[in-house]
Amino acid sequence: MSASSREIEKLIGQGYKQGFVTDLEADTFPPGLNEDVIRALSAKKNEPGFLLEWRLKAYRHWLSMKSPQWAFVHFPPIDYQEISYYSAPKDKRGGPKSLDEVDPQLIETYKKLGIPLAEQEKLAGVAVDAVFDSVSVATTFKGKLAEAGVIFCPISEAVQCHPDLVQQYLGSVVPYADNFFAALNSAVFSDGSFVYIPKGVRCPMELSTYFRINAANTGQFERTLIIAEEKSSVSYLEGCTAPMRDENQLHAAVVELIALDDARIKYSTVQNWYPGDENGVGGIYNFVTKRGDCRGVNSKISWTQVETGSAITWKYPSCVLTGDNSVGEFYSVAVTNHFQQADTGTKMIHIGKNTRSTIVSKGISAGRAHNTYRGLVKVLKNAENARNHTQCDSLLVGDKCGAHTFPYMEVKQPSARVEHEASTSKISEDQLFFCQQRGISAEDAVSMIVNGFCKEVFKELPMEFAVEAQALLGISLEGSVG
Amino acid sequence: MSTELKQHYTAQYSAIKASLPGMGLSWLNTAREKALANFSESGFPSPREEEWRYTNIAPIERRRFSSVSSPFEAVDRSRLKQFSIDGAASLVFVNGRSNRELSVLPEPARGIIACSMAEALELHADRVREYFAGVLNKESNGFLAFNTALFTDGAFVYVPQDMKVASPVHLIFVSTGADGLSTTRNLVIAGPGSQAEIIESYIGSEESGYLSAAVSELVLAEQADIRWSKLQCESNRGFHFGGLYADVGRYGRLNHANFSFGGLLARNEVHVDLSEASECSLDGLFLCTGRQHVDHHTRICHREAHGFSRESYKGILDQRARGVFQGRIIVARDAQKTDAEMSNRNLLLSSDAEIDSKPQLEIYADDVKCAHGVTVGQLDEQSVFYLRSRGVDRESARNMLTFAFANEMVEKVKRPGLRSVIQAELLAALPQTGVRKEWL
Repeated sequence: MSASSREIEKLIGQGYKQGFVTDLEADTFPPGLNEDVIRALSAKKNEPGFLLEWRLKAYRHWLSMKSPQWAFVHFPPIDYQEISYYSAPKDKRGGPKSLDEVDPQLIETYKKLGIPLAEQEKLAGVAVDAVFDSVSVATTFKGKLAEAGVIFCPISEAVQCHPDLVQQYLGSVVPYADNFFAALNSAVFSDGSFVYIPKGVRCPMELSTYFRINAANTGQFERTLIIAEEKSSVSYLEGCTAPMRDENQLHAAVVELIALDDARIKYSTVQNWYPGDENGVGGIYNFVTKRGDCRGVNSKISWTQVETGSAITWKYPSCVLTGDNSVGEFYSVAVTNHFQQADTGTKMIHIGKNTRSTIVSKGISAGRAHNTYRGLVKVLKNAENARNHTQCDSLLVGDKCGAHTFPYMEVKQPSARVEHEASTSKISEDQLFFCQQRGISAEDAVSMIVNGFCKEVFKELPMEFAVEAQALLGISLEGSVG
Repeated sequence: MSTELKQHYTAQYSAIKASLPGMGLSWLNTAREKALANFSESGFPSPREEEWRYTNIAPIERRRFSSVSSPFEAVDRSRLKQFSIDGAASLVFVNGRSNRELSVLPEPARGIIACSMAEALELHADRVREYFAGVLNKESNGFLAFNTALFTDGAFVYVPQDMKVASPVHLIFVSTGADGLSTTRNLVIAGPGSQAEIIESYIGSEESGYLSAAVSELVLAEQADIRWSKLQCESNRGFHFGGLYADVGRYGRLNHANFSFGGLLARNEVHVDLSEASECSLDGLFLCTGRQHVDHHTRICHREAHGFSRESYKGILDQRARGVFQGRIIVARDAQKTDAEMSNRNLLLSSDAEIDSKPQLEIYADDVKCAHGVTVGQLDEQSVFYLRSRGVDRESARNMLTFAFANEMVEKVKRPGLRSVIQAELLAALPQTGVRKEWL
C-alpha cells in the first residue's frame, strides 16, 4: 500500500464528534404505530381537528403503500412498529416561556454542538430554532423578527397561532400521498420550523433550524414549511446531528417551500447525522422529501446541501417551476465514506415559460461507500424557452467504493435547451505530485484538491455554513488520496 | 399481460414446432421449452420495469402475431435492390426464414461459415451449441425468452482464427405478411485475430403491421475485430424488437453503428461486455416522425482493466414522435484505467415531439475516466441566420441543418456502398428536406 493510501485510510478513520448522548428525562411514547398513537400525538400538541383528520388520511394511505425499492441503496426492511413516534425532553415547569427557562442541560447540549441558543453577538446574524427529538426547545430572536413581520416559530406553535396559514399551505407542495416516507411523515410529524415572510419583506437575518436526535429507538419526523410572499426574500439554514448508536434510526422529514411572485428562498443544509461506524454499524437512515414550488412569476428557489452524515441518504430536493420566468437551483456536495450509501439529487419540473434551472452536484465516495446522483429534468409542453444545465462530477477515493450517475431527462418542448454533463475521476496523481513537490503534505494537498472540487457549491453557502462545511469535509475525508 | 396472449404464443409454438430448425436436437429443445416457460411466466416487459419505463409495448400486446410462410414472390424486389451493397454477400430472410433464391451466397473461402441458422444446426450443430445463448444467459427479458422459444431461423457466421474477411456479410430481413411474426436469431463468432464486417437490414412491405423480433449474439475472441451496422427500415406500421448481445475478448474491437428510421414502435438493445484492453464504439442515429416511437437501450460493461469505449447517439424527433435513449456504462471493480465516454444529442423539431434521455454511469473502480453528456435543443438560430443571409430561405436552411446534424453519423460509415444506402434511406425518411442527392 502506498504512503498516500495509508494517509487516506487514516483520515477516513476519523471520528464523529457530535456522537454524545445527553442524559435527559424524556417523555416518550411506547414504540408502535396505529391510529391511536396518531390521535394521542395530535392531542398532546392540542391540534385543531383539520390536522388530525389530515394525519389520519395520510396514515390510512401510508398503509396501502410499499417502501420504495428503486433507489440504489440497500438496507434491511424497517419495522415501523419498533419505532417510538414521539419523544420530548420532560418539561418540569410546563413549557418554557423564554430562553432563560429552557432546561440548562439542553442549552449545554447545543453549546457543545456549537449552536448558540443565547442571543449573543457571535452569531448575531442568525436566528435559531432548536429541535430536540420531537419538539422544538427554543427559538431565538423572535422579537426582532416579529418587528419585521416575519413569523419564525416551531410548526406546532404555528398550528396554534396561525392555523389559517398552516391549513392553506401544509401539504400543498408535498401532498400526503406523494411517497411512502412523505405519507409516514404527514401522519406522525411532531415538530419542525414554520417561516412566513410577508409581502415585500426581506428577512433581516438568516434563519436557522438545528435538529438533534437524542433519544434511542425513536424516529425523527419533522416538517418544515416556508412561505415567501410576493417580493420577499429569505435565507434559511438547517443543520443536524445525532448520537452514536449501534441501531439505525429513522429520520423522515418533509420540507415544503412556497415562493410567490418575485420571492426568493435560499435553503441551505449541512447534514451531519451520525453516519455509523467504520464497519457500517448504526447510523441514521435519512429519508427526506424536500420540494419547493416557484408558484409566482420571477420567483426563485435555491437549494444548497452538504451531505456528509447518515448511513443512508435518500433525498431529492426539488423545484417545481410553475411561475413564468422562475428559477430553480440545486447545489450539492455529497460525501460518503465507510459503508455509507447516498442516493441523492434533484428534480426540476419546468412548467412555466422561460423557466431556468441549474444543477451542480459533486459526489465524493470513499471507503466502501456508494454515492449515487439521481436527477430528473422534466420540461412540460408549455414550458417555452426552458433552460437547464446540469453538471455532476464524482470523485472516487480508494478502489472499493462506487459512484453512479442516473440522470433522467424528459423534454416535450422543442424550444427547451437541456444540457447534462457528468464526469467521474479520481484525484489525479499529477495534481498531487504538483502540490507535494511544492512542499505541501499529501494530506493538505488532498484537502485542497477536494475543497477545490467542491468550491462551486461551497460558494453558494452562507458565510457561517461555508466555514463549517469545509471543516466537516475535512473530518469526513481529509487525506483521501485516490 | 393477459393469459390469453400467452396462450396465443404457446399455441403458436405448438403449431410451428415441427418446422422449427434444430428440432431434432435435444439441447435446443430444452432451451426452447425453458424459454417458453419463462415467457409464459413473465410475458412481455411492462413499463413498470425501470428499463422499460419510457416504452409501453401495449400496442404489441394488443395484437396477435402469427408465423406466416408467405412465398418469396410477395417480396418487393425493387425495395430489396435498394439495399444491395457492392461486393457484399447477402443472406435474405423472408418472414423469419432464409430464402436461397434471393440470397447471394458468399464465395466459399477456407474455414468461413456464413449460412442460415437452420443449415448450421444441421451441419455445424456442435459449434452452434458451444456458443448458443452463451452471451444471452446473463440477460433476462420477455422478448429474449420469446425469441429463444420461437426463432424460426437466422444467420450463423463463423470466422476462423486470423481470417480477415474483406467483403461484408449482409443479412436482410424482410417481413411481408399482415400480422406476421418474424423471429430470428443470429449467431456470429469471430475467432482470435479475425476481422469481418456484418450488416443487418430490416425492411417491411406490409402496411398492416407485423412484429419483427430479432436477437443477435456476437462472440469476439482475442484480438478479433468486428464492424457491425444495423439499418432498421421497417414499414411505418411495423413493430421491431432488436437486440445485439456481444462479448468482446481481450484486445478485441467492436464498431457498431445503429440506424433507425422505420417502425411504428421500435426497441433496439445493444449490450457489450468488454474484456481487458478491448474497445468498442457505438454510434447511433434515429429519426422519427408521425407517431413513431423509437427506443434505444445500450449497455457497455467494462469487466476488466484498460477498456476503451465511445458512444454517440443522435436523435431527430418530428411531429408527434417520441424518442428514448437509455445508455448505461458499468465499470466493474477491477476495470481500472477504463476510459469511457457517452454522448446523446437530440433535436426536437415539433412541439408535439418528446425525447426521454437517461444516460447512466455505474462505477466501481477509482482509476477511471468516464463522462457522459446529453443535450436536447433546437437548430442553432445563428446557423439558420448565416444561411438566410446568403439567400437560402428559412425552410431550406432548417432542412439543410437538420440533414447535416444527421449526416454526421452517416459520414462515419466507412464502406461507400453502405453509406449511400443509408444516405438514401435518410433522405427518404426526412420529410421535405429539400436536400438533394446531387449535393452529397
